[in-house]
Amino acid sequence: MEATARTYEELLTQVTELQWQLEEANDTIEAIRTGQVDALVLESENGHQLYTLKSADQTYRVFIEKMNEGAVTLNKDGIILYCNSQFATLVNTSRSSVVGAPFDHFISLGYKNQFKLLMERGWKEDCKGEVVLKARKHPVVRLSLTTLELDEGFSLSIIVTDLTAEKDAQKDLKNKNEELERINHALETSNNDLLQFASVASHDLQEPLRKIAVFSGLLKDRDTNNLSENAQVFIDKILSSAERMKQLIIDVLNYSRLSANDQKPEHVELTEIVKDWMTDYEILIREKRAKIYFDQLPVIEANKGQVRQVFQNILSNSLKFSKNYVPPVITITATRIKDKNFDAAPGNNGKYFRISIKDNGIGFDQKYVANVFSLFERLNTKDKYEGTGIGLAVAKKIVEKHNGLITARSTAGVGSEFIILLPVAQFY
Amino acid sequence: MVKKKVLLAEDDGDDNFFFVYFLEERVDISILNCVENGLEVIQFLDALANNEDLPDFILLDQNMPKMNGLETLKYLKGNARYASIPVFVYSTYADQNLAEKCGLFGAALVHQKPTDKEGYNKMIDACIEMIDNIA
Ligand SMILES: Nc1ncnc2c1ncn2[C@@H]1O[C@H](COP(=O)(O)OP(=O)(O)O)[C@@H](O)[C@H]1O
Ligand SMILES: [Mg+2]
Repeated sequence: MEATARTYEELLTQVTELQWQLEEANDTIEAIRTGQVDALVLESENGHQLYTLKSADQTYRVFIEKMNEGAVTLNKDGIILYCNSQFATLVNTSRSSVVGAPFDHFISLGYKNQFKLLMERGWKEDCKGEVVLKARKHPVVRLSLTTLELDEGFSLSIIVTDLTAEKDAQKDLKNKNEELERINHALETSNNDLLQFASVASHDLQEPLRKIAVFSGLLKDRDTNNLSENAQVFIDKILSSAERMKQLIIDVLNYSRLSANDQKPEHVELTEIVKDWMTDYEILIREKRAKIYFDQLPVIEANKGQVRQVFQNILSNSLKFSKNYVPPVITITATRIKDKNFDAAPGNNGKYFRISIKDNGIGFDQKYVANVFSLFERLNTKDKYEGTGIGLAVAKKIVEKHNGLITARSTAGVGSEFIILLPVAQFY
Repeated sequence: MVKKKVLLAEDDGDDNFFFVYFLEERVDISILNCVENGLEVIQFLDALANNEDLPDFILLDQNMPKMNGLETLKYLKGNARYASIPVFVYSTYADQNLAEKCGLFGAALVHQKPTDKEGYNKMIDACIEMIDNIA
């Protein structure tokens, strides 16, 4: 009985002992796994035995060697105990001449004091600071200091991050910003010049022009009988030239005004815009027996007066540049699209509308597509089709002011399609 | 028919000529005087002792030296003796902006300068219609 009881007690102690050992082993494994230990000493029958965790050590070393930052450890006196090759490269020396040297040796003259303070702090708490290294390219670096407890005692580890690229980028950005500011300023000045010109053009240039018109008119009316047939024709030419110049001045004025007086965007019903245009051009539409088709057109957020002008300029072109003896057919469609791209796929939640205005007029060679949107560019002689070549330039400027795009697809003798992308809403 | 007396303020000699030339045949108006700027408008009016001699309406050119149309308009509307005289402003380039400013100070109508007889007649027709409506 007695023997059995002792055995039970013995077993119980043994179990407790084993449990304790298991717990310790588990702790050790956990410590190794989390990198708290990379060597351990175990007591065995043959005395103490040191097991280094070769694989773990290897990982860290490779890691430190391969990283982009420089890494050094210093002893209490600021002597470099270890450095990775990245740091050696940074200061343009071999590793062997770095190890054993005071770190201070690699700090640029003007930063030594700063580094001293940083190091004093680094021994007390983790900290960071920027200094310039004494090396060929005088790299600006960030030092991240932290203390490490090693076998040999405490040491200070410093991660050295090269900020040269970052600083260069910052400088670059600053330069670019300054450049942008300069350009903006120049733009503002030239814009003001333009507005001033516009005001001169509107008042002062129109006065003599008006007089040319009035006096020519007087000549024509009063003294008709005394004038030769040629003289009458010439006077008519003076009158029509004056009229044309007046139109040019007004157009230039309107164009220049587009840059100024920004109004707040409002809801614009494109259907209403098209219908209004049809009312304004009722007579011409009837004369030309034109057919205008449009389905459900959207409401967009934009400057209404300006959108009106875009439609008016494009639609009236389609009427004007129609083929002789072929009644114009103009088709207006709109599709909500996925992105700001003329060929984008339709998408109900897209941010843009693609608006197409298509006609069966005289068209033009597609290679002139850029020309038709430039100021004063016209593809036909003014004897055949009157105009100032400003309508599409205005349309383009307005569309682009609304963060949109405009283009044309045309075939000579077949017809043209003007495609406009306009945002559903304006973000200011 | 009682002719309406009009005072014209216009610094441009040619425009003065056009005004008289195109409108002299009209039986419903008589041109009281043509003066060259706003200051002369005031001088002319101040010199009229009898209120009956005051013009029935005044046409001001906008761009005049010394005192332009808008400034003259402001002065007249702020003067007890002249405030009730209808004032019209015309200009080579009469835009929305000018119209709004003049409207603010009580101009009855802002007009673009005409280029022929028909245009001048239409402008005066519009002025007279406006005066009759006010009356
Ligand atoms: N629908 C169209 N069909 C054919 N050609 C066109 C069309 N729209 C514009 N164009 C061409 O583009 C030129 C520029 O157009 P625009 O800027 O409106 O000037 P304008 O109408 O005063 O000539 C026109 O002169 C014409 O040659
Ligand atoms: Mg056009």
